[in-house]
Amino acid sequence: MTSAALASPPPAASIRARALAWRQWPRDTRDTLFQLAVIGWTLVPHWGHLPFWCGALTAVVLVWRALLALGNGPLPGRWKVMAVLVVAVGLTAWSERTLLGREAGVMMLVVLVALKTLELRARRDAMVVFFLGFFLVLTHCLYSQSLLTALSMLVSTWGLLTALVLANMPVGRPPLRRAGAVAARSALLGLPLMAMLFLLFPRFGPLWGLPPDGVGRTGLSGSLRLGGVADLANDDTIAFRIRFDGAAPRPEALYFRGPVLSRFDGVEWQPSIFATARAAPRPLDLVTSGAPVHYEMLLEPIRLALLPMLEATPAPAGGAPLLLDWQPWLGHDLQWHTDRLVGERLRLKAEAWTRFEHGRQIDEAELNSMRSLPPGFNPRSIAWAQQVRARLGDADARTLAAALMAYVRQADFVYTLQPGSYGSDAIDEFWLGRREGFCEHYATSFVVLMRAMGVPARVVTGYQGAEPPDADGFRVVRQSHAHAWAEYWSADAGWVRADPTAAVSPERVRASRSLPPQPGFVAGALNTMNPELASRLRHAWERLDNRWNQWVMGYSRTRQFNLLRELGVQTPDWADVARVLVIALSAVAGAGALWAWHDRRRQDPWTRLQGRIGSRLRAAGVPALPHHPPRRLAAMVRQRHGAAGEALARLLDRLDRRRYAPGGARLPERGWWAQVAREAGRLKAPLPAQPLAPG
Amino acid sequence: MLTRQIRAWFENRLARSDNWTLTQRNLYILPTKAGWGFCLTLVVMLLAAINYQLNLGYALTFLLGGAALVSMHQTHGNLRRLMLHVKAPAPVFAGDAATVEIVLDNPGHERHGVGMGLYAARRAGMTFCDVPAMGSSVLRLRFTPDRRGRHGLPTLLVETHFPLGLFRAWTVWRPAAEVLVYPAPEQPAQPLPPSLPSGSGEQQARSGAGGEFEGVRAYRRGDPLRQLAWKKVARTGEMVSRDTSASASQALLLDFGAAGGAAGEARLSRLVAWVLAADRAGLGYGLRLPGLDLAPATGEAHRRSALQALALWQAP
Repeated sequence: MTSAALASPPPAASIRARALAWRQWPRDTRDTLFQLAVIGWTLVPHWGHLPFWCGALTAVVLVWRALLALGNGPLPGRWKVMAVLVVAVGLTAWSERTLLGREAGVMMLVVLVALKTLELRARRDAMVVFFLGFFLVLTHCLYSQSLLTALSMLVSTWGLLTALVLANMPVGRPPLRRAGAVAARSALLGLPLMAMLFLLFPRFGPLWGLPPDGVGRTGLSGSLRLGGVADLANDDTIAFRIRFDGAAPRPEALYFRGPVLSRFDGVEWQPSIFATARAAPRPLDLVTSGAPVHYEMLLEPIRLALLPMLEATPAPAGGAPLLLDWQPWLGHDLQWHTDRLVGERLRLKAEAWTRFEHGRQIDEAELNSMRSLPPGFNPRSIAWAQQVRARLGDADARTLAAALMAYVRQADFVYTLQPGSYGSDAIDEFWLGRREGFCEHYATSFVVLMRAMGVPARVVTGYQGAEPPDADGFRVVRQSHAHAWAEYWSADAGWVRADPTAAVSPERVRASRSLPPQPGFVAGALNTMNPELASRLRHAWERLDNRWNQWVMGYSRTRQFNLLRELGVQTPDWADVARVLVIALSAVAGAGALWAWHDRRRQDPWTRLQGRIGSRLRAAGVPALPHHPPRRLAAMVRQRHGAAGEALARLLDRLDRRRYAPGGARLPERGWWAQVAREAGRLKAPLPAQPLAPG
Repeated sequence: MLTRQIRAWFENRLARSDNWTLTQRNLYILPTKAGWGFCLTLVVMLLAAINYQLNLGYALTFLLGGAALVSMHQTHGNLRRLMLHVKAPAPVFAGDAATVEIVLDNPGHERHGVGMGLYAARRAGMTFCDVPAMGSSVLRLRFTPDRRGRHGLPTLLVETHFPLGLFRAWTVWRPAAEVLVYPAPEQPAQPLPPSLPSGSGEQQARSGAGGEFEGVRAYRRGDPLRQLAWKKVARTGEMVSRDTSASASQALLLDFGAAGGAAGEARLSRLVAWVLAADRAGLGYGLRLPGLDLAPATGEAHRRSALQALALWQAP
């Protein structure tokens, strides 16, 4: 449809000439292009995570609109725009398989904003674009809340506000800088209010359930399903940061425990139905040995009802809560559960023992459930396992596990994040066929084979490894560190960790880096030119980002309550937060009313000065009236006081010249009033004041 | 219907004044439609921030909310303390547009996008201006009175949406100045009536004869160019006019009673057309209305008093 709309365009050369002469643009063209630039700036960060068609469509629409503005061409008809919109909705439904949900919503919003620029006819349309634009700015923080994102959002907001100001400056051709300054002034004056609301607006949980995300990503989800995801996006967002006091454990001991999955229906792994039971069926038999590791953890909102603590973190001694205002508990599967989704940043300190034993006392029924396999799935693998078992004879669980690990090491298994999709007998296909997969494939196959050999086993998900420490000692654990491993049970040691991924790709576990992300062009160039500077810059930036995360993004209900405690509220709850907010808002409104009251009594400076002069002169016996100009007052002073009043009269004459001479100033120079007050004070009325002269 | 009554009641309780200083007492402010839309946007953004637990989302929402609240004060401050003065407009003919000049005096910071229009026009056809800091601007408004007489200026509406367009601050002002409205000249114009029997023939002859019998006098401002004695001007270099005071006694008498059989207002219109025609032709003319008599004369002042008499004449 672009070709149809541009059927009779102005010659390209003239458009180019007009684009270069940007100082001569008519106001409408300039404003439209400014709006398009702001919208483009807001849209560009989205192109990274939206499908290609969406980015291409919005780019074409924006460029088309810019050409129309430069060439003064007519806007396309409503039907054309509607047709593009229908196509976009169809493409969204096709690529997302839904029109609901976050991704689809962002996609639709992006397309709507771009298309609405083609409809900028009336003032109302412009307002719709601005408001959609503000919402679009907000959607950026669905993907990242880093300092960089915040800066980019700030620029977008400033641009949109500037465009809004421009729309309300109907006269002439106001310079962009002026409109930008007005917008910045509004925003800056609003900062105290913003800070107050940010600190005191009660933080509560989500109001309703969120539609799930359709895209496969690395990360924890609480269940596991092979074959569903053929291609795993490497999600580089940060899950948490950890800092060890004292020596850090070895990288291969950095297992952070998440959901333990023991139920398998042939396709999907689920946690045991008793996993979240708060009252454990029996006391936890965790036996730790060696020295504890003390650590501090800054947890990002991971949106799971668990804390991924380092294995094994027992409940703190003495019954102290692990986390204030939350009631986390340690399940009998050694996982830390919370009573609600972690939707805010949490900071907690704990101690862990990397050498531990648990689960030795366990009832037979539960063990049996960990041996069971759904009938009819993966027959070849099960047969293969039973052969191995028969060959090894009466071996214990440790021997059987070692045999499987040896097989993984010897056979040509490949660790990859792009394994392609697997069918319904995924384990057969993986273990005996393609042998390409990532941790989930290895862990689930290991568990299935162990179970086929009669050994109780289960899948454990969580995070493994961490990045090297930054300048503050914090080590970043990203969603790409998400990992799955296995545990099998033996009578003499309880649950034993086995990580078959380490057997095929030891560096995945030891070097603690999953797949390194491709560096960007600039970062890549800097890396080759000056690796030391690049790494220093990166570290400085990450430290800044970390501070931002701790102090701004990490502001949570817990911190809010701490603030209230500092304000003197004993046991704050959210109603107290709301109360303090209302009080603060009332104070602001009261200050505004007070200022307005003061402003109403505010006089023009000249009038005020005249009033002051008049009252001084009347005290000195000169019958000054409000309408007397300074030279008249000077004459009256000379008449009344003669030579004694000469200095005062001269001052008044000077004021008169200053005020009424051509190009004169509005007000006297600095220090003038002090002289007048002194001179007038010397002239005490020698006679009782005369009655005021008639007007 | 009800709104019109309320508006009329509101308009009538305002005092008339030529100077209007905008203070908190006479400035009103309410959110615009866009303001409500923005409010809705903020609510949706807040819901998104709550549901996705986005601290940055909270920050953005509150930043915009703070800016919006500040803009309320700025919108109000964009008009507050402005001083408006109206200049009485020049007289016009009924049906022609009168131009009202309004001076906006600004004792404070720079004002942007101050709009002004007729209150009755309901914000249609507003004109906008900026007022520099410590300076003043002039706005011109046109309105069309349709009846002769002395009219009060229409009620004015002064408003602004600056800076963000989320709030609208406005004031309603009834200026005290009046505009004099002459009756509309008759269209198409009828030929001038025959002059009085004593003067008409003589005048015709004299006009043709080239003014030999006329006296001359020094030029006075307002004398029409055709009245200048060009020959004498060329000869002596002095500006002299033909003296028509002598001929005025024999001039045209425009009589209400003789202005055709139409109704009162139509007769006035015809008289106005005649006054204009006679003035254009440089003829002396007198005016006779029931209860009012203007002696024949020429010139701008005479024309004005004739037209004013016609504008204000009341049937006795």
